Amino acid sequence: MSKRYAIDLDVSKCVSCGACAVACMDQNDLNVKQTRPFRNVFDMERQEGEGTTYSHLSLACMHCVDAPCIVGCPSACIQKDPETNLTVFDTTNCIGCHSCAMACPYGVPGFGPDGKMVKCDGCYVRVHHGLKPACVKACPTGALRLIDLDGPEEIAPENSLRHRSMEMLSKQV
Amino acid sequence: MDRLEELIRAKIPCPETGIEVKHTVCAICSPAYNCGINAYVKDGKLLKVEGMDEHPRSRGGLCTKGLSNRGYVYREDRILTPLRRVGERGEGRFEPITWDEAYKEISDRLLAIRARDGADAVAFFGGYNKWYRPWLRRFAHSFGTFNYGTESSTCMTAGWMAWKVAAGQLARPDMAHCDLYLGWAFNPYYSGYLNAQAAERAKAAGTKFIVIDPKITPTVEKLADLHLRLYPGTDGALALCMGNVLIQNGWIDKDFIRAHVHGFEEYAAYAANFNESNVERLTGVPYAQVLRACEMIRDAKSISSHENSAPIPHHKNGMQNYRAITALLALTGSFDKQGGQLPTRHTFTHQIAGFETREEEWMDATQPEHIRPAVGEERFPLWFHTEREMQVVDLARQIDEGTPYPIKAVFGMGMNFRMLPEDGYLAKALGKLDFFVNADLFLTDTCKMADLVLPVCSSLERGELETYPGGYAWFTQPAIDRVGESKSDVEILRDLAVRMDLGDQELAAGYEANIDSMLTDVGVTVEELKKAGVPVKVPRFRPYQPGTRLAQGLDTPSGKFELYSELIAAHPEWGLDPLPTYCDPLDGADPAQYPFVLCSGGRLPHAIHSRLHKVEWLRAMQPEPTAQLSVEDAQALGLKAGDDMELYTPRGSITVKAKPSHRVQKGVVFFYHGYSEADVNALMDKDHVDPYSGFPAYNATRCGMRKKAKP
Repeated sequence: MSKRYAIDLDVSKCVSCGACAVACMDQNDLNVKQTRPFRNVFDMERQEGEGTTYSHLSLACMHCVDAPCIVGCPSACIQKDPETNLTVFDTTNCIGCHSCAMACPYGVPGFGPDGKMVKCDGCYVRVHHGLKPACVKACPTGALRLIDLDGPEEIAPENSLRHRSMEMLSKQV
Repeated sequence: MDRLEELIRAKIPCPETGIEVKHTVCAICSPAYNCGINAYVKDGKLLKVEGMDEHPRSRGGLCTKGLSNRGYVYREDRILTPLRRVGERGEGRFEPITWDEAYKEISDRLLAIRARDGADAVAFFGGYNKWYRPWLRRFAHSFGTFNYGTESSTCMTAGWMAWKVAAGQLARPDMAHCDLYLGWAFNPYYSGYLNAQAAERAKAAGTKFIVIDPKITPTVEKLADLHLRLYPGTDGALALCMGNVLIQNGWIDKDFIRAHVHGFEEYAAYAANFNESNVERLTGVPYAQVLRACEMIRDAKSISSHENSAPIPHHKNGMQNYRAITALLALTGSFDKQGGQLPTRHTFTHQIAGFETREEEWMDATQPEHIRPAVGEERFPLWFHTEREMQVVDLARQIDEGTPYPIKAVFGMGMNFRMLPEDGYLAKALGKLDFFVNADLFLTDTCKMADLVLPVCSSLERGELETYPGGYAWFTQPAIDRVGESKSDVEILRDLAVRMDLGDQELAAGYEANIDSMLTDVGVTVEELKKAGVPVKVPRFRPYQPGTRLAQGLDTPSGKFELYSELIAAHPEWGLDPLPTYCDPLDGADPAQYPFVLCSGGRLPHAIHSRLHKVEWLRAMQPEPTAQLSVEDAQALGLKAGDDMELYTPRGSITVKAKPSHRVQKGVVFFYHGYSEADVNALMDKDHVDPYSGFPAYNATRCGMRKKAKP
């Protein structure tokens, strides 16, 4: 039965240890000398008056419901996987125009040494086989989750990267 | 893309792809973890790793480091065959030779040195990981010397020594049952995710956490109910002040102290020197916070305390500070009670599984007569008394000075000279040897100095015994083909024991037979463990009953928990203090010239020692060696994130990237160790060490910092 999945981050649990990023590199045979990692972590701090707040982020393709990259690609390389609704791609016809990267609010799409687009595909084939995406499987604190958009809320909205970024985007629009 | 191509690209284990999932073990970090790996394998090659769901301890988890196993196992500089040096030492020019040639040369050279200069002229040096250590120790003994030593001369052992002095054996926190956890330098999010998961479970169940750490770590963010932000190496002064406050307020367990503690009066009198008048000056922690911590201790039904391998011990006052910390457990009656600190022993290769093997008896069965002092024994007598092995911190000096007798050869397994302070001194000393062999996975800077280099395999390429808390044992099987002609460390020792005719039948019998003999009392055999395929509970495991050891009497001269050590008191010639006395942690450099404290103790989630710096995936997380300094100091020095800066001491300087952060206190700079191109240990003083344990003071060296001038 087809589902609508996305990968979400509970920002209150993330420690930016990078386990997700390395699991992704291993899964995708990433050559870090040639290609930017599909998933990146950020350890951030911000001074506010006397105090400092610390925050952590693990970021890759957000698998948006209305993914602007799909619309942005002139070669129709990017589509939604019918079984999982994850944003997948076949770059046979990619012309390396970077339109997808321009369209993506998160700057996610990267480009390999052949100039063609590469990004997180949500490990959709693993998901087809009942396995978790590599990053979700690896996350030691349970911060990264494969969430069912039609299921009960697994991450409190105030801690959900998905919720918070949608909020931010809607303010910009 | 057709379906098969899709399956192959996604590495789906199934008959169509031919990919199999095999259980194996990660040995990148401490044997205290040894997490299970599900290795995705095809045609003997590793395609991917993930956590092993069937593993009772790691339960499908793997950390940042463990997830890089494929990059680690297939690192570019894996050694493929035995090598003989053809260039100058350190030049790195070698010719491949056969195992037979290598064994012959090692055997001939070591036996000749033994015949001419005695067995003690050869030192046996074990690096990391620890899996082969009982074999190397026994090999050294069978060869005829106590000059066996390891990386544990600078890691963890000082904490165990503190426990042995106080209670006759080690102890572990019972975090799952404690009310209050004293997290001295506790940052498991970077160094042991299983501990972080356990801490989160405990916190959810109501356990309170005091985190004592100079840095604001993720643990401080996520877990700390109270953060005591002290300066590096001042833990002893803080713990003594806490002890004093507890005593002054009567927040101690008087019955426990009367029955089980030795030296309370002497301790109380000494601890009184650490109080409201000086604690903030000594440690940076305001007295009000010390008082708050003590109130939390007062209000807790049970307290346990984090045991740690490096942050506390890596100071010149490290073992004494460790003793001062353990004293709090004695004062509050938290030793050998549920939710407190539970006495324990090692099961096997520094793993603590809750049952006892005959490992210790096995590895010491061929001890030679102790005639000449082991390396470091005269300089660090307490170390030798408790550990009965060389303290490698003194190896360079003995090679260099030839006193009390010359060292002519070093047989290393995973030896890394860069692990020692002022490591150029050891590198130079190695150049003086008649013969130097090193076995390793990788052609390291140390291997490049060797006359002969032997290729060893990783944990994924061999089978070995693992044990885990809760009474589990596992015998792994090789999951992938060996890289090149590599052999396991223990196979090499067996082959050499036979070739050298050491007359040690057990060593000659090989690993599995040896394990069977160590497991005699455990009620399980290697064959049975192999058949099980996953970790299983050993039949004769009985959970420890808290209070047992106290009822028996502790293995100390007084039979009690010794705040005043009768062992140390009985040896005035050692020049050590029976009480956990405190001294300033810094070296003698001029503070006007070197106003900052250099601490190489802050950990990175993607590094352990130097062994992962060359794994590209992990190196991508922070490509450049980077120092974290306070925002205030960065401003004063005109440094911005990413600027080149110099760290310097009287020994020299290194150039690193600057990363200003509020996580770091003013006056302190953190820089991680093990980078060949920015070797922080080269800045340290080889004699800035703990006289009790011999441990180098890696975490407190006076240094200068400046912006690097543009060339």
